Amino acid sequence: MKLEIRNVTKRFKDKMAVNQFSMELETGQCVGLIGPNGAGKSTLIKIIADILNADEGEVVLDGKRISKMKREIGYLPQFPNFFQWMTARENLLFMGQLSGISKKRLIEDIPTILTKVGLTGEQNRKVRTFSGGMKQRLGIAQALLHKPALIVMDEPVSALDPIGRREVLNLIQEIKKETTILLSTHILSDAEEICERFVIIKNGTKIEDTTMTELISRNHEPVVYVKITPKDHFWTQLVSQLPYVKKTEVIGSKVKITMDNIEVHKNLLIQHALNNDVDIVHFEVSGNDTLEEIFLNLVVSA
Amino acid sequence: MNSFYILMNKEYFQMIRDFKIIWLPIVFIFLGMTQPVLTYYLPTILGALGGGQGITIDPTMVQQEGGQVLATTLGSQFDQLGILIIVISMMGMIQADKASGMLAFILTRPVTVWSYIAGKVISNFLLVIVSVTSGYFVSYLYVNYLFTDVPISHMLSALLIYLIWVLFMISFTLMISTIFNGQGVIALIGIVFLIICRMITGIHPIIDLINPAGMSQHAMSLLFTGSVDSSIYVSLFITFLWVLFTLLVSHLWISQKKFQQD
Repeated sequence: MKLEIRNVTKRFKDKMAVNQFSMELETGQCVGLIGPNGAGKSTLIKIIADILNADEGEVVLDGKRISKMKREIGYLPQFPNFFQWMTARENLLFMGQLSGISKKRLIEDIPTILTKVGLTGEQNRKVRTFSGGMKQRLGIAQALLHKPALIVMDEPVSALDPIGRREVLNLIQEIKKETTILLSTHILSDAEEICERFVIIKNGTKIEDTTMTELISRNHEPVVYVKITPKDHFWTQLVSQLPYVKKTEVIGSKVKITMDNIEVHKNLLIQHALNNDVDIVHFEVSGNDTLEEIFLNLVVSA
Repeated sequence: MNSFYILMNKEYFQMIRDFKIIWLPIVFIFLGMTQPVLTYYLPTILGALGGGQGITIDPTMVQQEGGQVLATTLGSQFDQLGILIIVISMMGMIQADKASGMLAFILTRPVTVWSYIAGKVISNFLLVIVSVTSGYFVSYLYVNYLFTDVPISHMLSALLIYLIWVLFMISFTLMISTIFNGQGVIALIGIVFLIICRMITGIHPIIDLINPAGMSQHAMSLLFTGSVDSSIYVSLFITFLWVLFTLLVSHLWISQKKFQQD
């Protein structure tokens, strides 16, 4: 399986939603498409799922246009919709049959898949009565049912409460072993947890395509976090004047200090603090920016 | 098992869940009953309510032929309240799927737009056929009982002709339901357009020829006079073209993904 997105562009009236976006996706990968709200993630996902037509460019799966390969794609919309008046089982039967699976096979497969997504006891309840998390899990069941080569998920956990979020994340961890996944999210910790590879999108343009380790090693820049009492905040001003300090930043009660040659200078910094009679509550040398910070840097500055 | 068959099954399933399969025929049975019963008892009702003072009812006026009464069942019941009911019960056909996102979702599966449209049109047409036919048969029974007998052949062929007009009503409502997003707008456009079509019949032969509601006119004249005008074949052909046109527009609209809002 190989998914290729080639120079996809989509405009909505005057707004450019996706701009010359290209990427490739190979079997077994799990790719997180991340970006701020309105970056064009959903639009791109919808183009891949063949719900929207691209203005330019094309999406190709195994060398064929995506519209000819729908059987190979499992799609989970942001808010999965089902026929409210059908039961969970009936909805799966319906979607499964539309995907070209025989009724007999489905009757065998549906209990298995419902167990997998944790909806065993609910199969004969109307979807109308389902909670958001249950609908999402049913949506995943639906996307898995025809054993597609690629599963595309649009914000699978964004609308869920912490419990539902945990359930769905665990489920995705589970299915990731068997299929290729492309998911969009604006919650970084989720992407960090599930995916190895990230594609960051901003204003419809791809600004980064990288792996977790690469991203962190590239932004590897040791910093010092000093927690001080409020009365000593004047010290922050003094620190920023020091020759070896590159940047200071106050985050709550902590001061984040970036400096040259940290091994040598960190002790000088402590010395300086003691000289100024600063009450140090906590002192920490920390390796990395969090993914969130890296993301913010990328998205805000780029 | 192709997708058309599955989609059609789903429609029937929904009709059963909604009880549409019961209430729509019942409504038409009531409509069918109304005309002969009302026509028959109107003089009595008028007499009782008017107290007989100053009103004289010409007894020859009420001596209607059975065929005429059956024709007015089509012309004044089915073509007025009937249109209203058909449009209102069908207006959500595609609009509801669009609003819930199910249309987009269904089309992410290997389903052709034609099988989706065909599933909708055929299932709904069959339901309306059953409803209209049962209403019409009830009307026919009352007519035969209260008025003169109508030949069965006339009755059946008039029904067949009338059902072509019904097919247009459905395909037109489907098209409007595909294009517009508000239920109110769909109902308004559907009802007003179809009733105008029906109202302008008989104004000019050329208009009748290209007007799908001309089929209703032909069905009525068959019941009135016992024969059909030869223009019916052209009319029939043109009505089918109209149906095809509405379906093509719907197909184009859906396959171009114009139904997407965002």
